[in-house]
Amino acid sequence: AEDLVGSLANSCLSSSSLQSFRRFGNTLTEHFHQLQPWHKTLKIIGAEFGTSVLSYFIFLKWLLNFNIFSFLINFGFITIPQFLAAEPNNLSFTGLELLTGAGYFQQTVLYYGSYTNATISKVENSASYNMQLAYIFTVGTYFVICFLILLFSMARLFSRNFVNPQARSVNASKLLCTWDFNITNEKAVKLQQKNLLTQIKEGLTELNKEVQNFSVMERVVRFATHLIAWVASLAAAVAACAGVYFLSINNLKVRPEFAFFHTVVVLPSLPPGMDQLLVQLLFLLLFRNIILKISIVGILCYYWLNIVATSESQCWETLVGQDIYRLVLVDFIFCLLGSFFGEFLRRIIGTTVCVSLGLPEFDIGRNVLDLIYAQTLTWIGILFSPLLPGIQMIAFLIVFFVKKVSLMRNCQPPCKVWRTAQMMTSFIFLLFCPSFLGVLSVIGVTVWRLKPSEECGPFRGLPSMYAAVAEWIQMLESYTAWKWVVWIYHNLISSELFFFIISTFVLVVTYLYWQIIQARRTMTKLLHNQIINAGKDKKFLLQKLQKVQRSKRSSSALGGRGQQVSLTAQLLLFNCLVQVHGVLQLCKQPAGLGKGCASNFI
Amino acid sequence: MRWKSKPPCSQKSQEPTSLSLCLRLFHRYRDLAPQLVPLDYTDKPAVTLPYELIGSMPELKDNPFRQRIAEVFSEHGDGNMTLDDFLDMFSVLSEMAPRDLKAYYAFKIYDFNNDDYICKSDLEKTVNKLTRNELTPEEISLVCEKVIYEADVDNDGKLSLADFQHMIVRAPDFLSTFHIRI
Repeated sequence: AEDLVGSLANSCLSSSSLQSFRRFGNTLTEHFHQLQPWHKTLKIIGAEFGTSVLSYFIFLKWLLNFNIFSFLINFGFITIPQFLAAEPNNLSFTGLELLTGAGYFQQTVLYYGSYTNATISKVENSASYNMQLAYIFTVGTYFVICFLILLFSMARLFSRNFVNPQARSVNASKLLCTWDFNITNEKAVKLQQKNLLTQIKEGLTELNKEVQNFSVMERVVRFATHLIAWVASLAAAVAACAGVYFLSINNLKVRPEFAFFHTVVVLPSLPPGMDQLLVQLLFLLLFRNIILKISIVGILCYYWLNIVATSESQCWETLVGQDIYRLVLVDFIFCLLGSFFGEFLRRIIGTTVCVSLGLPEFDIGRNVLDLIYAQTLTWIGILFSPLLPGIQMIAFLIVFFVKKVSLMRNCQPPCKVWRTAQMMTSFIFLLFCPSFLGVLSVIGVTVWRLKPSEECGPFRGLPSMYAAVAEWIQMLESYTAWKWVVWIYHNLISSELFFFIISTFVLVVTYLYWQIIQARRTMTKLLHNQIINAGKDKKFLLQKLQKVQRSKRSSSALGGRGQQVSLTAQLLLFNCLVQVHGVLQLCKQPAGLGKGCASNFI
Repeated sequence: MRWKSKPPCSQKSQEPTSLSLCLRLFHRYRDLAPQLVPLDYTDKPAVTLPYELIGSMPELKDNPFRQRIAEVFSEHGDGNMTLDDFLDMFSVLSEMAPRDLKAYYAFKIYDFNNDDYICKSDLEKTVNKLTRNELTPEEISLVCEKVIYEADVDNDGKLSLADFQHMIVRAPDFLSTFHIRI
């Protein structure tokens, strides 16, 4: 075995010390990759359903990592010390707590309220563990790391996948760049070929007839349907939000989660050849879904932060934590129900009652938005219920399994066009922009502005949660060894001038980069025109050369005049070809204009 | 001015190969014909597996381009692959290969007559493979003309590697679709 490893190592990699470091790192990551039990599952899903459906499962796995990480650091830094300083739990456990989150769970480590505000030290005169600082720093560090991960993922995806939509060469890329090599199942391959055939035929019929000019009546009807759909969905969103608000005020425990059924919209059957319209309609549906979910989360946050937090209840953070626990649980149940109704029942209907409908397709957009919503709730809940990521982790695992089984048994591979790369970029952008940034603002308001409850939690008695950090800095001022920490705090973190300077600097750099992009775009257009012109010149000169050669052959008896002309023509042609070659080489060089002009077609 | 038939060395050494991927690929290669492939490769035996075995792998057997893929990566262009060719093939088709490398090999796969240009006849063969020969010759001709019209930048009536790469840049899905998981 060692010979094999050695010989393979020699044939795979060159031998140098830098390579051996890389080898070690690669082996580690590969073994970690192998340990993941889903490599085979993902391969099977990709083989039968293609890259677009696979992207949903990869996204789910990626979100799971956030929850695993959060659960581990919360459990390690907050919960385990709490176990050492725990008070006995007087309440009794009945099974109902799993659904409501209240009752026995109220005094367990699940919620903020049961954490101590003491400085824990088991052995006298040894290092002590300040629970307040641990709580705020753990949660803060987790959010900073999440922010950096999301920012870098988004930036990387944007630079790879952002394409100017007008510059797409639709037919050429459809033919040459979209064949999915992942699909290895015979039936799925045949289906993919059939879909491509249908798309090509539709493209050809569009080419043959003129651009569809709808009559005035049809245009009015289309506009009216769009308007009615928009008004209806906005009205439903407003009604759902109002319902949520008033039911919360009246302290009823029932949440109108039925509002989510709004997203189950029956797509009207469209006439053929409306591929572009279908994509737009899909975007519209997703957009309305997003608006509904954002407004509901917004209303709930407003209710929690303005009404629950300022009420006279005993432990408002635990109440908010319980609300979020219930929301997460109901969302999980509705996700499973959605899979049951949307896929299983629809397959039964499609194969027995109404055979023309056929098998359902996996609705990638709606499912990804559900995941983003669940993750948003978890992020909001981390501060109030540190072990919530663990619960969401288990929920995601179950959802992965259920969706996979439902997909394999009930669905057929997608035939609609789904631009995977661009859709995933927009979904991660959604995860960052309304979702994560909204969560950050909610957490920010909670930590800086709200008064923690007096009788429970690690921040009891303080004017705000952030005051714990301020007090710690004050305490540090008396130690000379930590003066630099105090200096950093006063001059960099809590000083407005520093943030003003940084913001100005970032804005200036952004403006410079924007100008560079504009300049490169102009340069690209110029080079593009130059290539076209060089091609035309080449064709023209080749024709001239052929004409001259023909005339030279026919007039060779007359003398050597023709030879002179052909020589000039040949020199011109050679010059032109050298120029064309030079331009093409310039475009191929990666260092020339920065990653080549071809990759800067933004 | 012919393009070189193999990519420049600097491009190839940039692909990050990993040892355990190599080992996995070696075991898959050996599983195709255990009696032909020895376990010990220290003296670099010259073992070549015929195309029929490569084309029967589950990852390739239903792919309409399996013959072209095997021909492009094999040493003599006949589809019979040594271990090196096999490793090259799956590392280019893995998710770690850079976009330019994938574009280069995709171009070679679609270039049926190996003249370093995708001309109309190459496109017609591609369309036939993609649609199981179900289009009429006029429709195929129309499609090929549209493709060349859209993608040919230097107006020579056929697609060169630069035209192809230019098109790939504007199709961000290419990286995830030109990928075989093993």
